[in-house]
Amino acid sequence: MKSNIVKILFTRFLSSLLTLFLLVSFLFIIIRLSPGDPTDKYISAKLGSELSEKIAEKFSLNEPVTDQYFSFVANVFRGDMGVSYNYRLPVFEVIWEYFSFTFVFATISFFLQMSLSIGLALCVMKRRSKRLDNLVTNASLFIYSIPAFVLGVALIYIFSVTLNLFPISGLKSLDYDYFTFFSQVLDKLHHLVLPLITLTLAGIALFYKYIKENMDEISHQTFILNLKASGMKEDVILKKHVLPNSLRPLISVAGVELGILLGGALITEVIFGLPGMGRLTVDSILARDYPLVVGCVFTAGAVMIAANFLADIIKLKIDKRLVKGILN
Amino acid sequence: MKSGLKIIHWIIFLWLLLAIVRFELIIDYLYLILSYSSLFFTDTPSAFAVQSFGLVDAFLSALLFLLIIPLILFFGKRFRFITGKLNFSFGFLIVLGFVFLFAPIISNENPDFSKNLSVTKLLPPLSSVKQFELKYDELSNLSAAEMFRKKSAEIIKPSFNENIIFADSVKLSEKIIYYQKNISYEIESEQIIDESGVPLIEEKFFLLGTDEFGRDLFVRLIYGTRISLTVGIGAVILSFVIGIILGFIAGYRGGFPDILLNRFTEIFLAFPVIYLVVLILALFGSSVFSVIIVLGVSGWMSLFKIVKSEVLSIKQKDFFSTAELVGLSKYKLLSKEILPVIIVPVLVNLVFLFSNVVLAEAALSYLGLGTGNTYPSWGSMISSGQEYITKAWWLIAFPGLGLILTLFSFNSSGRMLGRIINPRLRK
Repeated sequence: MKSNIVKILFTRFLSSLLTLFLLVSFLFIIIRLSPGDPTDKYISAKLGSELSEKIAEKFSLNEPVTDQYFSFVANVFRGDMGVSYNYRLPVFEVIWEYFSFTFVFATISFFLQMSLSIGLALCVMKRRSKRLDNLVTNASLFIYSIPAFVLGVALIYIFSVTLNLFPISGLKSLDYDYFTFFSQVLDKLHHLVLPLITLTLAGIALFYKYIKENMDEISHQTFILNLKASGMKEDVILKKHVLPNSLRPLISVAGVELGILLGGALITEVIFGLPGMGRLTVDSILARDYPLVVGCVFTAGAVMIAANFLADIIKLKIDKRLVKGILN
Repeated sequence: MKSGLKIIHWIIFLWLLLAIVRFELIIDYLYLILSYSSLFFTDTPSAFAVQSFGLVDAFLSALLFLLIIPLILFFGKRFRFITGKLNFSFGFLIVLGFVFLFAPIISNENPDFSKNLSVTKLLPPLSSVKQFELKYDELSNLSAAEMFRKKSAEIIKPSFNENIIFADSVKLSEKIIYYQKNISYEIESEQIIDESGVPLIEEKFFLLGTDEFGRDLFVRLIYGTRISLTVGIGAVILSFVIGIILGFIAGYRGGFPDILLNRFTEIFLAFPVIYLVVLILALFGSSVFSVIIVLGVSGWMSLFKIVKSEVLSIKQKDFFSTAELVGLSKYKLLSKEILPVIIVPVLVNLVFLFSNVVLAEAALSYLGLGTGNTYPSWGSMISSGQEYITKAWWLIAFPGLGLILTLFSFNSSGRMLGRIINPRLRK
């Protein structure tokens, strides 16, 4: 059994590596296909054409495309992403700086989403009121339909412009450096309230839908009826039997969601001007900072795969019956 | 006996409302169609020269508007949908459909029209300004084509017209004095278009206010709906075709293509696709067409999975092997044997896909990577409105509300459709 699990995880790992490899190749193809020559910006009336040729030679742009591709892939997997054009820093340093923010932001949002949606679903199930159920279901569908940028801008209008409770954008106040450590943390949290609401609400609605549907389905199964007939308390049944059984399909969705969040909450970061992975990626794309683009997309892909991997491990831990299901 | 409002009632109500409110405009369009067809038969080359997208658009809208009620009454019996019960999301979807098809009838203004910025800039909803029009130079000896062009510019408003003047207030004396932000201007009353000697000064009413360039927000919203829906429909059709064909190949053939496609969908599903979309649009330039293609190509994976698994199970059924033995072609197998069976789950998936695409288009426009500045789009309206958030809430509220209601209607009708195929969820 144990060796079986290790084998599954190993094959999963290999196939993830393959996926990453294909992703990087795909990026290479897209970037090579796109119009424009990287040496173009070195051509000017004063410098003459020799410089651009020299640059092309230095960066091995004269070599056949296949050779370029192999050295590119080899470098990426050696962990050498090159140097960002814009920041003049190794790509990993730039990404690390932005990823640390995204990591904290995404983790807080993820745990809020999970706990609040499960709590809400439990609350609604306990009440057993059809009207409340319908109300919450429709409300969650409505909230799920609000695009992040509409919600974010509306929150800014209500809480920042009209009520003046929270800052409009950024992560630090102007006099941040003079604060004590404790108030620095508080200041950052104060800046993060609106972005967290923007990022979290839709996720709560999505998770709520999944949990609620699973719970409804499971609470109609015969073993629950059996437990009820044997005189167990409703609360205990709900918490000990319905909830654990309905969490299983949720975990894979949660894995995908965590991966997306860790890849960067693009829209939320743009609205609130936060230094996260999403904005870094799009800025690097718009600035045609190719090494950084590859680095960011690679990170997003790797993080997504890691999150799915984590979800698989947790699922296996919870439910041994799944070993066969994942094997296929 | 079913009671209550049905969808058909709502359609007829909207149609009547539009027909009553816009009666004159519809007559004008019909007149234009008649004069265009007479021009077409007398002077074909110049008829081709005067035609434009706006003209064709208006003609089609007007014709469809006249035909739609007979069409529904005639063919409606085939679709049980229209005698179904009306609810909020279906009602809103029908409004969207009306806006999409009949935008030129709802408003003949141009969404990019802006004039006299000092007067019309950032007007709140339900405000109005004075409007009058200078007389045009009377040109004699106009050819038939030029006459037609002049007439059509009166009915289908162009994006620029020097002769229209907006003013805060107008005083009538011997000369006409009008004020634009407390600066007064004088004008001879003969210069203004009049009605039996009295200068014609109208109230220009802005239902939803104006944006930072003095453009009518209502008109922009109407035409923005069209862009969003066009992108949505185009991308969904593209995804549908790709997903169905690849799913059929993977499920029916199996083997190498199956493995390849599975690997490929895994990449796309295991990755935040938005970055790839942004990357491709930024590198290759963005227009309506490229947005449709990129969103269409990036959306077919879930459909592929559904079709593949359904085809795998249908392959085992007797009716399918009979059809195979009879010797139907691959195309016939797909369209006659498989599609009718899987149409409902596919349809549900398409509805959700549609709302995803509309959302993605708006998000891309918000980031400045959408359909460009050529056309108004909900996302770009919100992103440009964000700069004026302290002064003009309506710039964000109305496009945002439109987007939310559209997504909500699609999501909830998708869920309703899903309950039809999955009775387990029905309680």
